[in-house]
Amino acid sequence: MVRNRLKSSVVCGTALLFFLPAIFAQTANRSKAAGAPDLTGVWMIDQFHPALFSKGTTPPFTPWGEAQFKKADTLVNDPNLACLPHGIPRLMFVPLPMQIFQVSDMVLIYEEAGNQLRQIHLNRDHRNDLDPTYNGDSVGKWEGETLVVDTIGFNDVTWLDHAGLPHSDALHVVERIRRADHNTLVDDFTIEDSKAYTKSWTASQTYHLKPGWEIAEYVCDNNKYVYHEK
Amino acid sequence: MFVFALAAGAILLPGAVFAHHSTAEYDMATVTPIKGTVTKFEWSNPHAYIYIEAKDDKGNAVEWTAELASLGMLARVNWKRDTVKPGDPITIYGNRAKDGRTVMRLEKVAFANGQELSAQVR
Repeated sequence: MVRNRLKSSVVCGTALLFFLPAIFAQTANRSKAAGAPDLTGVWMIDQFHPALFSKGTTPPFTPWGEAQFKKADTLVNDPNLACLPHGIPRLMFVPLPMQIFQVSDMVLIYEEAGNQLRQIHLNRDHRNDLDPTYNGDSVGKWEGETLVVDTIGFNDVTWLDHAGLPHSDALHVVERIRRADHNTLVDDFTIEDSKAYTKSWTASQTYHLKPGWEIAEYVCDNNKYVYHEK
Repeated sequence: MFVFALAAGAILLPGAVFAHHSTAEYDMATVTPIKGTVTKFEWSNPHAYIYIEAKDDKGNAVEWTAELASLGMLARVNWKRDTVKPGDPITIYGNRAKDGRTVMRLEKVAFANGQELSAQVR
């Protein structure tokens, strides 16, 4: 009996392995047939910008936002020191590569940073009553060659950039991701958070295609860092 | 809970030699060469580390630590887990810590035969 079950499992497993390439090929073809632009590939930021607001420019802080920013110390309380997820949009500014996959109903962004997988749902709206999460709930739609991604449902733990720009759980991020040319990807961000900022503001990041690169394992816990010993 | 975590982190930080962080703590404008002998090569994420024993102005032994990028990024510029080994005489070039500790963010290493290897992905 056990032997038969084992045998049928092996047969099923072998059959699945046999058909998997065909299933993937069909998924890819369906996506192509739908006419979606191709954003797939491994991409790396062109330049690392730790701060979204350069020196001499002032973010449109609310009093609460400014107070939070004054508390930020990149050497002491950056959530990334504890290897927590970066959150959106910061995850998209990390100087590590990302790989974009397009499957039916979703665009997936596999980030080397923490090996996080961003899911952008193409055929649904935001769910009601979202639990707050680090990377929020992302839904996307195609506008011509541009993928427009709308993300809400954040917790208030992360920073928006590497310099400590704060946000609240009211954060709303809209991204417009497009391939400027074969080797160049651009993500234009609009940041809205009425608790932290008096008005919405924008940022942009350019990426270069990295043929031949593979996403490496990145477990942000190998170093024996005392932050974890709490 | 989170506030507690931050407070704990702040209290414990002086004892923490290394951390996962940005380049804020390094003098990014200046590259300093330090010659010495490798005592340890820690091949780890999120940063790898080279430890070398060097000499100060008076000839006293000083331990220097060079912080490198993550393993994935290093592999992309031809670093391997045995690129440097204990006992290797090398020169490390990098951006020193602003607070005076003998720690740097590694730019490149030079080996005894004169060959150099960058630690930065351009």
